[in-house]
Amino acid sequence: MTFTELLRLALSRLRTHRLRAALTMLGVIIGVASVVALVGVGQGTTANITSRLAGLGTNLLTVSPTGRGGTTSTNLTLDDATAIGQLASVGAVAPEISTSQTIKAGTESESVTVVGTTNAYASVRAYDVWQGTFLTSVSVDQKLRVVVLGATTATNLGLGASDVGKQVTIGGLPFQVIGILQAKGGTGFQNPDDQVMVPVAVVQKYFVGGKSVRSIGVSVARADEMTTASAEITSLLTERHGLSSTDTADFNVFNQTQLLDAASSISGTLTLLLGGIASISLVVGGIGIMNIMLVSVRERTREIGIRKEIGARGRDILAQFLVEALTLSLLGGLIGILVGLVASAVIGQLAGWGFHFNPATVAAAVLFSLAVGVVFGVWPARQAARLDPISALRYE
Amino acid sequence: MPDPIISLDQVSRVYSMGRMEVPALVDVSLQVFPGEFVAIVGPSGSGKTTMMNILGCLDRPTHGQYLLAGTPVSELDDDGLARLRSLTIGFIFQSYNLLPRTTALDNVATPLLYQGVSRRERAERARAALERLGLGDRLDHEPTELSGGQQQRVAVARALVTEPALILADEPTGNLDSHSGAEVLALLHELNAAGRTIVLITHDQGVAEAAGRQVHLRDGRVVA
Repeated sequence: MTFTELLRLALSRLRTHRLRAALTMLGVIIGVASVVALVGVGQGTTANITSRLAGLGTNLLTVSPTGRGGTTSTNLTLDDATAIGQLASVGAVAPEISTSQTIKAGTESESVTVVGTTNAYASVRAYDVWQGTFLTSVSVDQKLRVVVLGATTATNLGLGASDVGKQVTIGGLPFQVIGILQAKGGTGFQNPDDQVMVPVAVVQKYFVGGKSVRSIGVSVARADEMTTASAEITSLLTERHGLSSTDTADFNVFNQTQLLDAASSISGTLTLLLGGIASISLVVGGIGIMNIMLVSVRERTREIGIRKEIGARGRDILAQFLVEALTLSLLGGLIGILVGLVASAVIGQLAGWGFHFNPATVAAAVLFSLAVGVVFGVWPARQAARLDPISALRYE
Repeated sequence: MPDPIISLDQVSRVYSMGRMEVPALVDVSLQVFPGEFVAIVGPSGSGKTTMMNILGCLDRPTHGQYLLAGTPVSELDDDGLARLRSLTIGFIFQSYNLLPRTTALDNVATPLLYQGVSRRERAERARAALERLGLGDRLDHEPTELSGGQQQRVAVARALVTEPALILADEPTGNLDSHSGAEVLALLHELNAAGRTIVLITHDQGVAEAAGRQVHLRDGRVVA
């Protein structure tokens, strides 16, 4: 018998027992759908983290003060930043000091994070300019009241490309807009696009006071020098702050990339875990198929006897029942994939990371459901094939 | 004299029931030649069913030699028996043994499916067989939509569709009213007249009269 003949037999059988076929498939549908959906969610999370990772800036180290001390009085200074900039392993250094102020453009106003920094900030934090320019070394040195707007802030204030050069007020003081940044596309409460950048000395002079900075962003020249650079910065600042090796450091060199790498690997593990749990329901679905096939072999004992009498060999019967189980599991698998993809698209939309279609997951789900059909179909099919035609014919 | 289609030589079939050995057939020898119409007659318990199973290659003899169309049956495995059945024998049963929820056409076509005949040819031959038996207007009917006589005629069509060397009929009239039963017997006669070899197994002496030769079984032995 050819496969087409077997498939035709199986389909006509499923057609005559629609409800039973549907209920049997439901187990596989739920199993495959949850595998596809949960793996999709896991991969969406991972992709989200990865995109944040790229948005952070390349080879970024963040130096921040430890211990008490609010944002106003910290022990990191602009001079510390300059000294770090002298290290061979360091590519660029951007001291940062931030404050929350109200920014006004015409009638629009909103509360925004004002970051005081230098011209190196764009390269350290991986920002691209959309219109105008970023802070220049001249504007930083001259403490000019100029501002670069984050993409979201610009939109919120109703400012577009033609508004570069206009005046806005920050905390009541007039500033000139010299540039608008390209959106990084992050979400969450620390939206990197919803902030404005001004020269660091301007913040110190008008808003915060003092000589200290909140943190220093360091872009390391080469990725394999992250650890070296981190150690060099530590020893440099220990010396500059007059600490002995036994003292607790009053600063912290933080590798954010490492943290996100860790988060990414955790989310990868979580994806595996979710997929694994969902696979259990797929196995349960497979057992459902086996159950129905066993009942079906019992019910159709006479039919099997008749088929054998008129010339079916054991392997014909085996193939017939196996293909029936395969058809159930594969059909269930395909429906499950559709349901799972729709579910992960909906979840991705709600969570804001979009829809991640992964052909490998889909292929794996198809193979898995085929395997379920074979594994749980073989036993009932063998039972059917081994039936003795004489007793099968006598069975009522 | 042509070679016999059926040749039983000292055939016995013994069933083991735990430690008990129950002989169902004892030293049966029988030859059936092409074109014959033979009735195997006996009361219940005479070994008719065992005889039927052996002749139909559904079972193998414990002792003795059975040649079906020249093939020694005892030497075949299950697949070999299935193949031999498929190619050589057309079965007609008391309870019709049609596939449930399957149309008359598909029922008749199924033996050809197991011979590997193409779908189109299967349908053509099945249709032709049903039309020959006057069921041309019942092709799409399922067994439950047919009368007993019609179902038995579908079974006859199924037995004929493979053009078998031997038709094996086991109480073909047992479930039918006398009118339909007579029709089926007439049909068997017609087939025999057209040259088919028929072995009819029955307990009914009246039915056996229809055959050209009668073989009587009693307690597993041929008595006449």
